[in-house]
Amino acid sequence: MLHYDFMQRAFCAGGIIALIASALGVYLLLRRQALMADMLSHVSLAGVAAGAYLRINPSITGFIVAIIGAIAVEYVRKAYKTYSELSVAIIMVGGLSVSIILMTMNKTINKSFSSYLFGSVVAVNQLELTMMLAAALIGALFFFLLRKPLYIISFDEESARTSGIPVQWISVGFSIITGMIVAAAMPIVGVLLVSSLIILPAALSVRIAPSFTSAILVSMGIGLTGTFTGLTASYELSTPPGGTIAFILLLFLVSGLCVRKIILLASKSTSKKMRPEIAVKESRISKNGLSSNLQKIRQR
Amino acid sequence: MLLASLQDVTFGYGDVPCLEKANIEVHSGELIAVTGPNGASKSTLLKLAMQLLHPWEGKVTLSPTNTAGNKLVVAYVPQQIAAFNSGFPSQVTEFVRSGLHTQSSNWLRRLTPQAKQAADEAMQSMGVWELRNRRIGELSGGQKQRICIARALAMSPDLFILDEPTTGMDKESRKSFYTLMREQIDRHGKTVLIVTHNLSEMNDMLDRMITLERREEGGWKCCTTTLCSGHFAPAESLH
Repeated sequence: MLHYDFMQRAFCAGGIIALIASALGVYLLLRRQALMADMLSHVSLAGVAAGAYLRINPSITGFIVAIIGAIAVEYVRKAYKTYSELSVAIIMVGGLSVSIILMTMNKTINKSFSSYLFGSVVAVNQLELTMMLAAALIGALFFFLLRKPLYIISFDEESARTSGIPVQWISVGFSIITGMIVAAAMPIVGVLLVSSLIILPAALSVRIAPSFTSAILVSMGIGLTGTFTGLTASYELSTPPGGTIAFILLLFLVSGLCVRKIILLASKSTSKKMRPEIAVKESRISKNGLSSNLQKIRQR
Repeated sequence: MLLASLQDVTFGYGDVPCLEKANIEVHSGELIAVTGPNGASKSTLLKLAMQLLHPWEGKVTLSPTNTAGNKLVVAYVPQQIAAFNSGFPSQVTEFVRSGLHTQSSNWLRRLTPQAKQAADEAMQSMGVWELRNRRIGELSGGQKQRICIARALAMSPDLFILDEPTTGMDKESRKSFYTLMREQIDRHGKTVLIVTHNLSEMNDMLDRMITLERREEGGWKCCTTTLCSGHFAPAESLH
């Protein structure tokens, strides 16, 4: 399988994006912005449509528009502080409506749009690979250098701001990085499934990891394993790579949560077995105590 | 030294003001309680003092420096913060130590043994040392609240701003917490602004009390600052 040039590129692109997108997912999840990836992918689609309409490379315009959308959501989020998911809905509708209008205006590009909607990792070109590498490197640098303030901001923005952390700047930077990673991940799983690559590994890791650092590392491990397994399965079964990767990640999540539940139930049943003995002993003591007290009262 | 002040501050949500012409002053070395009924804008008052909210009218001042002339460090423990983040994937030690990374100069540095010791002492003083390797999500509400305070202690701030920090704590824990806060002021010159409903338990510890009351004429609330002679006077006499 790996002797094919396109498969080498697919594994390379998938690996790069799986690592950085899974790390990003942990932060998005903890900041209650899980839908942001979905929203930005739809905004990015408008950029792709605009690029195709204006005859500019759609990958570049998609990249730029995703970054603009990410900055915009940061400001709309402030306007709807209590209902922050509204900002996601507003910008997603904006992105999707613009892309539909542009697609209708330029009917010749409709066919190539399926690769943006469902992904085509095996058809990743050199420019897309370079953009992925750039996004991953900038993202990795951002997450490494700012890992400590990001941890504090993820827990609580207000106390972070009070303690002197420049929350505003870091949040804007975070949004830009999110936009870049989402746009870079689009060729792999497509607009419709891009959030699966970002959110599913994180959703499992935050449930099983014992610490914050391990949550990020576990998420990266799940993302990488899921992507490589998905690509292999896709090659062997001749299924679409984007959908296969997303499905494998979903299987990982469901099975991971099931195993965790079984372990929890097993440990609960073990502790339950211990408890009745104590409870029975206690009830006997109290019963005896009560009966002896009652006997004393009766005697009186 | 004046650390924070609100001068004739009016603030509200939407079109309705909830605080009108509020005046408070927070001086260094004071233990000040903010009290009032539910919905009296106690948390809003704290957020205004920290400049997390901007007033409609009036002036809010927060000193940029402490008494030694260094940058003022503020530790804020919001109301039931830990309860909202029950699934946060973090160990107690990791969480408490994060309080030491608030300054940008510490973002890339490894913690010194002294800093780690400060975090350990904060955990010990809040009685959460045994929980140091546990995940936050596994802890009870009271334990979560205590680790949030331990993180604030580890920061060694000049000003503690605590919004009902003893929620979920038992009576003994509350009592030792108030004593600890008093010690922070008397021994280390810290300042504490605390929202509480347990005034009777803070007996002999308070320096001043800010009461939020409903105004008779318009139904809006206003602030009244009561100087406690020596320390706290019985709550009944202040109303």
